[in-house]
Amino acid sequence: MNKYLLSMTLTSLLLLPAISQAETAADNYKTYCMQCHGMQGNGMGANIQDMSVQPRDHTDAKTMSGRTDAELFKVIKEGGLAINKSALMPPWDSTFTDNEIHDLVKYLRKLCKCKHAG
Amino acid sequence: MKHLILLSFLAVVISPALASAGEDGGKILRAQCASCHDLKGPAPQTIRELWKRDAPDLFYAGNKFRREWLVQWLQKPIRIRPAGVNYLRNINSTPPSNQNTKKTGRKYDVLWGSVTKPLKHVKLSRAKAEAVADALMGLKPHYSLVAGVKLDASKKVSLDQGEVLIDKVYGCLSCHFIEPGYGGYTGSELYTAGKRLQPEFMLSYIKRPKNWDPKIWMPNGNVKPDDLQKIVNYLILLSKEDFNASN
Ligand code: HEC
Ligand code: HEC
Ligand code: HEC
Repeated sequence: MNKYLLSMTLTSLLLLPAISQAETAADNYKTYCMQCHGMQGNGMGANIQDMSVQPRDHTDAKTMSGRTDAELFKVIKEGGLAINKSALMPPWDSTFTDNEIHDLVKYLRKLCKCKHAG
Repeated sequence: MKHLILLSFLAVVISPALASAGEDGGKILRAQCASCHDLKGPAPQTIRELWKRDAPDLFYAGNKFRREWLVQWLQKPIRIRPAGVNYLRNINSTPPSNQNTKKTGRKYDVLWGSVTKPLKHVKLSRAKAEAVADALMGLKPHYSLVAGVKLDASKKVSLDQGEVLIDKVYGCLSCHFIEPGYGGYTGSELYTAGKRLQPEFMLSYIKRPKNWDPKIWMPNGNVKPDDLQKIVNYLILLSKEDFNASN
């Protein structure tokens, strides 16, 4: 009984942060990225009319396969400036956990149907 | 009897002066506003809850708005968020041919539906607007988020310098209008922010939007403390421009 209770408490402790935080990559992409990168992920978002730099086309396998997963992780977390690109790509480190960003990188690989060609 | 007539006559004459006399702001809020607006909090904690939100949260209105603006807007409500409260409900990736897509030939996502028409919103009389504004200004659960936050008016910028910060340096323009129709759609218009919002709220919200609205699609732009002060001074300056005249 005691052992059972203990393991119950432990599992619920382990599960708690997961329940209160993790969102799916699809929901995160839709809520945060689509406004600039577009409903089709092709860089044609609702916000682009007056943007001086065009958001990346995430379905463009040629360009996206030129990026490593680590580079994609870095640009999502720290923003365009961190990889010498435009500040119009914002940093999302306050919005996501690292795990959510890893999931987003996998999601981008699905959008471009590509891997790093390295 | 003569006295009574005189008294009621006086009451009629005086009451418009005591603007909100006789109106119960709290009661109006509960009866006419709570069906759309959250008056209790907390803000949505998950994306799925966020997607269900139909109107801006008002439970921290007293920490956010300038009272004078509330009184005016409640009598004459006009749109603040060009893509609505949830842009995902109001965009479409195949532009109807009758819509002006400016950059010809490029098929980017466009607004459609009710957000392309003037805002429909409850309108209040002057007396009711005053009473409701009083009730809203009493809602201050986020005191701790603005405690110690202060505008430094010495960190002045010109309109041009401010625009550089908002556009090139921090990319705020991607999501916010800084004049009617100029900028991005998914945030609220910023050319009226200085009139609508308390400076302390703006400072605190821009620094960490998540503190106010955990799942909102505004990123924390890691704005440097000096630039934060300059941006808010700029927004106040910008709101004094007469946009109707320049159009
Ligand atoms: C405010 C608009 C905006 C939002 C929101 C936005 N981006 Fe971007 N993003 C851009 C722009 C602009 C670029 C192009 C930067 C450049 O090429 O200099 C870009 C580029 C990128 C790149 C390519 C970087 C490279 O190596 O070329 C990736 C990956 C990316 N964004 C992912 C995301 C993800 C994931 C999200 C959602 C969490 C997101 N973006 C949200 C504007 C935005
Ligand atoms: C049918 C739903 C609905 C009802 C009922 C309603 N509102 Fe609203 N209200 C909205 C929407 C939607 C907006 C957002 C408008 C915009 O951003 O363009 C809004 C915006 C506001 C704003 C500005 C908030 C902000 O953060 O910018 C205030 C203040 C407000 N309403 C007060 C009221 C009051 C007071 C009542 C009751 C007398 C009321 N509303 C009733 C839907 C509603
Ligand atoms: C990716 C889009 C995006 C970017 C980039 C962005 N914002 Fe926002 N901003 C939003 C959204 C969405 C809201 C919330 C609107 C609401 O309450 O419905 C918001 C809210 C605000 C508010 C509060 C306005 C209000 O009416 O309540 C201010 C002030 C603000 N942003 C300023 C800025 C500044 C300054 C920057 C640049 C440092 C910036 N924003 C960058 C999307 C963005």
